Amino acid sequence: MAIVYLVVGTLVGVWIASELAWPVLNFDLAELTFGRLRPLHTNAVIFAFGGCTLMATSFYTVQRTCGVGLWSNKLAWFVFWGWNVIIVLAVITLPLGLTSGKEYAELEWPIDIMIAVVWLAYSFNFAMTIAIRKTSHIYVSNWFFLSMMVMITYLHVVNSLAIPVSLFKSYSVFSGVQDAMIQWWWGHNAVGFYLTAGFLGIMYYFVPKQANRPIFSYRLSVIHFWALSFGYVWLGAHHLQYTALPDWTGSLGAAVSLAMIIPSWGGAINGMMTLSGAWDKLRTDYVLRFLIMSLAFYAMSTFEGPVMSAKTVNALSHYTDWTVGHVHSGALGWVAMVAAGALYHMIEKLWNTKMYSAGLVNLHFWLATIGTVVYITAMWVSGIMQALMWRDYTEFGTLTYTFAESVAAMHPYYAMRAIGGMIYWAGGAIMLYNTIMTIRQATAQPQSNAAAATA
Amino acid sequence: MGDYFQTDWAAMTVNDWVGLIMTVVVFFVMIWAYVYTFNPKNRDKLEAQRNIPFEDEDDFRNGEKK
Repeated sequence: MAIVYLVVGTLVGVWIASELAWPVLNFDLAELTFGRLRPLHTNAVIFAFGGCTLMATSFYTVQRTCGVGLWSNKLAWFVFWGWNVIIVLAVITLPLGLTSGKEYAELEWPIDIMIAVVWLAYSFNFAMTIAIRKTSHIYVSNWFFLSMMVMITYLHVVNSLAIPVSLFKSYSVFSGVQDAMIQWWWGHNAVGFYLTAGFLGIMYYFVPKQANRPIFSYRLSVIHFWALSFGYVWLGAHHLQYTALPDWTGSLGAAVSLAMIIPSWGGAINGMMTLSGAWDKLRTDYVLRFLIMSLAFYAMSTFEGPVMSAKTVNALSHYTDWTVGHVHSGALGWVAMVAAGALYHMIEKLWNTKMYSAGLVNLHFWLATIGTVVYITAMWVSGIMQALMWRDYTEFGTLTYTFAESVAAMHPYYAMRAIGGMIYWAGGAIMLYNTIMTIRQATAQPQSNAAAATA
Repeated sequence: MGDYFQTDWAAMTVNDWVGLIMTVVVFFVMIWAYVYTFNPKNRDKLEAQRNIPFEDEDDFRNGEKK
């Protein structure tokens, strides 16, 4: 299902990117407008694709690193069906405009309660599997997954606190600057713990497994974990520079953001150096290419983010497409690529087979890499151009450009972004085709795959 | 600089104290974690855990541990 959601979620993304370049594509239908479909896109890629990937990989790895089966298979099935029902409800409610209006937390209060129940069931099953482990030590990937589960529970509950006024309308209990701070405390920690810590859990298991070499430094992974867990919770305020939030909070957020470059790069180098002495594997192992390229994007976006949080840079970058480019550098380059590598690895192991076409894996890799680069380059140029046009003054002290002129100037880059997204989507569609053919091939050969695992 | 670091301790609320104490405690725990992890005496013990992902793969079949 994760791969299905990757294809659907990026397709919606390509559609709304195209709407920004060619607005006629909304066909004057409210349900198809950018404002309605943008939260559908973000929810589909983050919570449907990302969530299914995290749940699948964490349940897969916790069993293998703890030497036991899952604590409860029934509870795991409850998590699967529950999460997918939530995704269906999101697909229905968001285009209808039923939203709480909180970014990355748009779903209304009954669905928020369902998310909390399913997430707690997922976390409980994971924690209980660790509790009954046969190994004395808890492998570092499980630490990352656990920190994600604990923090996302806390963040989701607090950020979603609301007063319902009807079945599908509620208002946040927070208001004003407190609402903004809670919003970005959630928003950045969703990035930090869901899209970073969770996917680092994936990286610390699947990079060593695919490379068939232990992680470069286990001690570095321990420091990476604690520094990341301690540091990330401070960063949210850097989204609110130059607002009503007290100035010192933004400065603190920026200072800790810059400090976070050190553990982030330590972790990226730790993953890459796992290949030390065996770099030739990248020539032939296309799945490993995904994993290592994802670490390059992880390093790049964890450098770019702190730089953008610094006040002088933020004065230029905030509210521009540079931010959109930065987010997609992390989402397409880091999250989706490390997920693709892990999913390819799991498919081969679970069905005890090889991918239907290694050539298609390689094609997916290049489409994903080129698509990401086209996308983020378009947004860098567009974003910096926007910022420079907005802040430009004439000799008389008036704005040189109207806002509409800056919108018109962005058109070529919006078209280029849509093309980059299409290239990336094509890679995902090829992955889905390759996966379906692999499973069909494996199930058509029952004798040779008699030992295939299914969980 | 003195003004910058000046703190009105009398104005601290319970929330401020809880947050301050938790932050300072976690800061020292972080220092302990760094010292423990990079202490040469703990090197072999920690690095031995690198091999955990390679210990158990063959035991999993049909979703159940053998």
